Amino acid sequence: MSHHLYLLSPSDTPLYSLTHYSSKPAQATVTSPLASNLPSWSTSAFAGTLTALSGATSATQPHHVQGGTVRVGGGQDRHVIQMIANASLDVIEEVVRKENAMYLKSVDKFNEWTVSAFVTPGNMKFVLLHEARNDDGIKAFFNDVWELYVKTMLNPFHTAHTPIRSPVFDSRVRASAKKYL
Amino acid sequence: MASTSKQYKAIGEDIWKGRTEKINSELFALTYGALVIQLIQDYEDFAEVNKQLEKMGYNIGTRLIEDFLARSAIGRCADFKEVGEVVAKVGFKSFLNITPIVTHAAPPPAASSRTSTPAPQSNAVGSSFTLTLDENPLVEFVELPEDALEGGLWFSNVLCGVLRGALEMMQVQATFISDVLRGDETTEIRVTLLKYLEEEVPVADD
Repeated sequence: MSHHLYLLSPSDTPLYSLTHYSSKPAQATVTSPLASNLPSWSTSAFAGTLTALSGATSATQPHHVQGGTVRVGGGQDRHVIQMIANASLDVIEEVVRKENAMYLKSVDKFNEWTVSAFVTPGNMKFVLLHEARNDDGIKAFFNDVWELYVKTMLNPFHTAHTPIRSPVFDSRVRASAKKYL
Repeated sequence: MASTSKQYKAIGEDIWKGRTEKINSELFALTYGALVIQLIQDYEDFAEVNKQLEKMGYNIGTRLIEDFLARSAIGRCADFKEVGEVVAKVGFKSFLNITPIVTHAAPPPAASSRTSTPAPQSNAVGSSFTLTLDENPLVEFVELPEDALEGGLWFSNVLCGVLRGALEMMQVQATFISDVLRGDETTEIRVTLLKYLEEEVPVADD
């Protein structure tokens, strides 16, 4: 079960991204309705998503679709994930207007991927793509990431709203992901 | 007036407590950090930045010593060893609220063999003490990037300058030996006595 975290600046520039493979057993995953019709070799983590992209229309309106063709190969998974994350930004902004809390639970769903978001008072967006439900863990994880992010911002060598390259930050976020996700 | 180590600690503690104007440590750390970043941008050479930080510290130190002597009312130190003790337990404590650990070192033997008048051991030119800082309020949130590590930046070099300026009565050299920001185990400053100015008249003793 994998998770994808993206930290985005107020101007939607990606500042940090992380892919985490959780060792915890997956809770009841929502099986994609298309998966049962497909041969077993194509039911990878992204099979449902890819099939949906190639033909069927999805519920959300992604505005970063790479042409319409699905490129075969390992690299496309990354693009799909990023596309889903980008697509959810619109929804996040809508929810932010309505809700006052920082942790916006799951704002979007795309086949088997749920998008959870966390918006800091400084309008930084933390977007997490995950497959299973884990509200408490994710909330704790987001809070942890927020603390680590604040500490990084206080480093005089770090310029605000630039990609975060600190290895200390990276290792701590990974440790936190291991702990909560 | 030879005070014991405990008395020095007590004096330092009293001065720190007696200060009415204290500053938020985060503000202090952030201001210093911004200062270093600006110097790096202006000079673009880490050795030059080290030098500038030391110079700034020197200017601070020459003024700071007056404030220190006025508040602490400590008399002359008998020898360089005592200087080290006072600097660590009273000086650092009263200004930064930290107490670095002092380790003394005798001068290297070869150097003192040429002096005509055999000076007492701990006043000999070349004797030194090392201050080990287990906490440093200046580096509260700092992480050095790759180029600063390679360029040899001593982030808290201003402290060396302050020591040199404050101990202006005797010519000392203060340099960083190691720094946790650069990945070392400890943060250490070595202060070495270069010259002892015998002629100095003690301030206001009539």
